Amino acid sequence: MTLFSEATGRPVISTESARTVGVIAGFIIGTTSKRIIALRLSKTTVDGDTLRWDDLTAFGPDAVTVPSEAIIVSAREPASELSVEEAEVVGKRLLTDAGAELGIVDDVEFDPATGALQHLITAADRVAGDRLIGCGKYAVIVHAV
Amino acid sequence: MSVLVRARELIGRPVVTLDGDDIAQVKDLVFDNVSGQVDGFTLNGRGAFAGPLPEALAWEAVYSCGPDAVMIRDRHALTLRDSVVTHPDMSEADVLGSRVISEGGRDLGQVVDVIVLVASVADVVGYEIESSPELSTDRRHLLIPLPDTLSVSGEALIVPEAAIEFVSGDFAEFGAAVEAFRARLRATT
Repeated sequence: MTLFSEATGRPVISTESARTVGVIAGFIIGTTSKRIIALRLSKTTVDGDTLRWDDLTAFGPDAVTVPSEAIIVSAREPASELSVEEAEVVGKRLLTDAGAELGIVDDVEFDPATGALQHLITAADRVAGDRLIGCGKYAVIVHAV
Repeated sequence: MSVLVRARELIGRPVVTLDGDDIAQVKDLVFDNVSGQVDGFTLNGRGAFAGPLPEALAWEAVYSCGPDAVMIRDRHALTLRDSVVTHPDMSEADVLGSRVISEGGRDLGQVVDVIVLVASVADVVGYEIESSPELSTDRRHLLIPLPDTLSVSGEALIVPEAAIEFVSGDFAEFGAAVEAFRARLRATT
């Protein structure tokens, strides 16, 4: 399992050119699939700032590999079911569908093989990723237990 | 699951969709003045300078009413204000400050809050009053239970004489006091 905080800053390398095309700056999640659907990149050497999860070759412990530099897209293209502002979960309040706050999402644990969200982590709690319902401007919503 | 809440604690609570967007906040509660149930909420916009919204939230469209947010499925849960706020309805603002008078004609005090039992429906079960000298000597805040149905005029609130026996100073015990009081009323009618 990997944490968003651990993976942020990890380089994204093209296996075609063996060059770094950018580093991971953020994660765009799908609330229906409950997994990472794209990576937001910074320091890109190509046009574009978004890498769709389905386009990456491997999410390795030291680097993310992609088949070619051309795979990096721009966030203006519809890479996700959510806008970037809505899709970020870290730093947002965590709210159950019963209307109770659980705290602020500090980090997220995910499976690097699939991108599936394992846990949403707050200061006091670890909430199973499959409880995720929605993620908006105000809060991340999860099923109450 | 049911929980007792003070109406004033609901005011200002954000109205949040299951998609995680805060699209309104509670402005006031609207009661049916015959059934004593909460019909819904009038709404303000979010943000310091946002005013009243033309929409309201009917209780049937509330997904859940929690300690930190009123949850709705999506923004289609809101309806036009006039369909929730119908003529004989009262709001929290109308009731605050009213005198509570017993059927025997004793002034028990002045309403400072309305106590709502939130379950699948939201029922007004009591008032928090600043008690008159009839009830206590130190103008304490006390909780007074209400019958299943109540009549509200906005000027004075009439409660059965028996309610005085079930007055409570303890919020945690008030749910039991309401049940005991209502059981007594059913037994005597």
